[in-house]
Amino acid sequence: MIVRLNTDLAAGILGLAFAALLWLPREELGRLSIIFPRAMILVTVLLSLALMVKAFVKPAARQVEIEGSPLRLVIAIAILFAWWYAIGVLGFLLATAIAFFGFTWFLARIEIPVSARRLAMWVPIMALLIGVFYVAFTEVLSVRLPAGIWS
Amino acid sequence: MDMLLEALFSILTLEGLVTILVGVTAGLFIGALPGLTATMALAVLLPFTFTMSPLQGLMALGAVYMGAIYGGAFTAILINTPGTPSSIATTFDGYPMARQGRAYEALAAATISSVVGGIVGVAFLLLLAPPLARLAVVFGPAEMFWVALLGLTLVASLSSGSLLKGLLGGCIGILLSTIGVSPIGGETRFIFGMPALQGGIALIVALIGLFVIPEILSMAAQGRGALPESGKLEGGVGSAIRKMSKHIFGKPINLIRSCIIGQIVAIIPGAGGNVTSLVAYNEAKRFSKDPSSFGKGNVDGVIASESSNNVMVAGSMVPLLTLGIPGAPPDAIILGVLLMHGLRPGLDLFTETGVLTNGFILSMGFAAVFLLPVGLLGGRLIHRVVVKTPFYFLLPSIAMVTILGTYALRNSFLDVGMMLLLGTIGYFLRLIGIQAAPIVLGLILGIIAEKGYVQSMLMSIADPIPWLGLVDNPLSKVLAVLVLLSAATSLLPAWLERSGRMAKAKPDEEDKS
Repeated sequence: MIVRLNTDLAAGILGLAFAALLWLPREELGRLSIIFPRAMILVTVLLSLALMVKAFVKPAARQVEIEGSPLRLVIAIAILFAWWYAIGVLGFLLATAIAFFGFTWFLARIEIPVSARRLAMWVPIMALLIGVFYVAFTEVLSVRLPAGIWS
Repeated sequence: MDMLLEALFSILTLEGLVTILVGVTAGLFIGALPGLTATMALAVLLPFTFTMSPLQGLMALGAVYMGAIYGGAFTAILINTPGTPSSIATTFDGYPMARQGRAYEALAAATISSVVGGIVGVAFLLLLAPPLARLAVVFGPAEMFWVALLGLTLVASLSSGSLLKGLLGGCIGILLSTIGVSPIGGETRFIFGMPALQGGIALIVALIGLFVIPEILSMAAQGRGALPESGKLEGGVGSAIRKMSKHIFGKPINLIRSCIIGQIVAIIPGAGGNVTSLVAYNEAKRFSKDPSSFGKGNVDGVIASESSNNVMVAGSMVPLLTLGIPGAPPDAIILGVLLMHGLRPGLDLFTETGVLTNGFILSMGFAAVFLLPVGLLGGRLIHRVVVKTPFYFLLPSIAMVTILGTYALRNSFLDVGMMLLLGTIGYFLRLIGIQAAPIVLGLILGIIAEKGYVQSMLMSIADPIPWLGLVDNPLSKVLAVLVLLSAATSLLPAWLERSGRMAKAKPDEEDKS
């Protein structure tokens, strides 16, 4: 999908917004703590302004291309964040089992028809993959993974 | 010399060689997993060395270190995800090569370069440790500030297209590095009421987020795997090794330059393999006859990155073994093992316990040699897994490992959210021309630059013009000039291109020929 956007202007606005985010809530910090960030915020503002000027004088690109399906992109982002949120609620094992199954089904549909039989055949593979990594991290590497409501 | 020979015989035993082989293999597989760094590999395997003799324990950890740094190249090449931070620069050309069906070539180049780099690093460590260590000692805050700025001049070559956007990316990275507790003032900054942010944004969290997540999102949007089915491989391992050996040793200047750069950067405490590989990559690009091919699958980029980061493994031991200053984060664990066995860094390490120290150094040389068979066999295995696995299994698997790896770093759930957030933002930043590499570079060097800058200002606080403290001794003046030269030479090609002189020069050359 092609989106009409002046990339220099977008980058400049983004730089200014980021600088403002760090500048505005500045607490009463000592000189030693703020001297360097303040200098860098100033440089960021100058670069952003330069990009904004360039956007009107000699813009780089006036469009961006999102390769593939934007809907799939949005759904993939939603799945990743939902996976993260679910780990806190349901624990790593259950949340990952659900998210992994859902993500695989969603992606597989792009390439092949996914029948219930095929999905059932994938369950042991997915269980093995998740199980191997779960055991490797919890038992071998001694990482305490979130247990969510089961803790 | 007697000590060296005695050390050599003490490691040339079946037990010694098996220890090195197992260490390299374990390090390679851990290093190949995104999110699991060389430091983590050493930390995880450290308890296994408790029951070993001091030499065997150090040999095992040296081999793990060597294997892990090299292992990072596998995922960097195959799925555009640096397994360890040291492999950032390997992704720039390694992944495009893999996508062009030249994965074996990239892996063979990475393997040969890593072996040579590892051996050269050991040779440097054995021969040049004392004089190089003396040079490292004179690096004060001002010098470290200039070293950080020298690294930041890389932004010009990493920005791929717009210098302004590259610099903006570098500034965003530097500002991200200031989140958390101030290194000098000690106050917390920019945490927005979230105590979990006091520790700042861990480098590996940003690294995974900015490099892996945009790739996952891109693959999901396009409905494709990491490597195209049509162009998976050209030729076999044997032909790739022959071709790459001919390329690397036929024109060894890139390899030699990268090894020397790797050694020089490695002895500066705190610089680490990521800075080493980025500096070597930048110089390879700058000296190349075809700099525009870098980032599009030029094997010289892989050679520069992988040889320099493996030189760093032994090279960063110079300040560690002589001064007790870890040259890179994994060295801190090696220091812990030395102290655990009652060995104190310094002259005694090379005299009273010279056999042990030399044995440890030589074992790293053997580990470098073992990278060749272990790497080529392991490389086939890892490559097969990546290519044969359908993308709808591969993507959720990569997502799961990145989530696990990020969480395991500090057992922090917030880190996982931060990684996903940075990755999603990184995807959209990439669309408007701000690449991940300058942001990561800013994040790495921001901390070093801030410490150097603020400490220099503190030291010169009584002077009429405090910032002159940044150039008050000959070494800092030399480094400042180097920064200016580096910035100028980075800007020169862009300026020539813009002014049309480069375009005009080309037809003239053609006329002459």
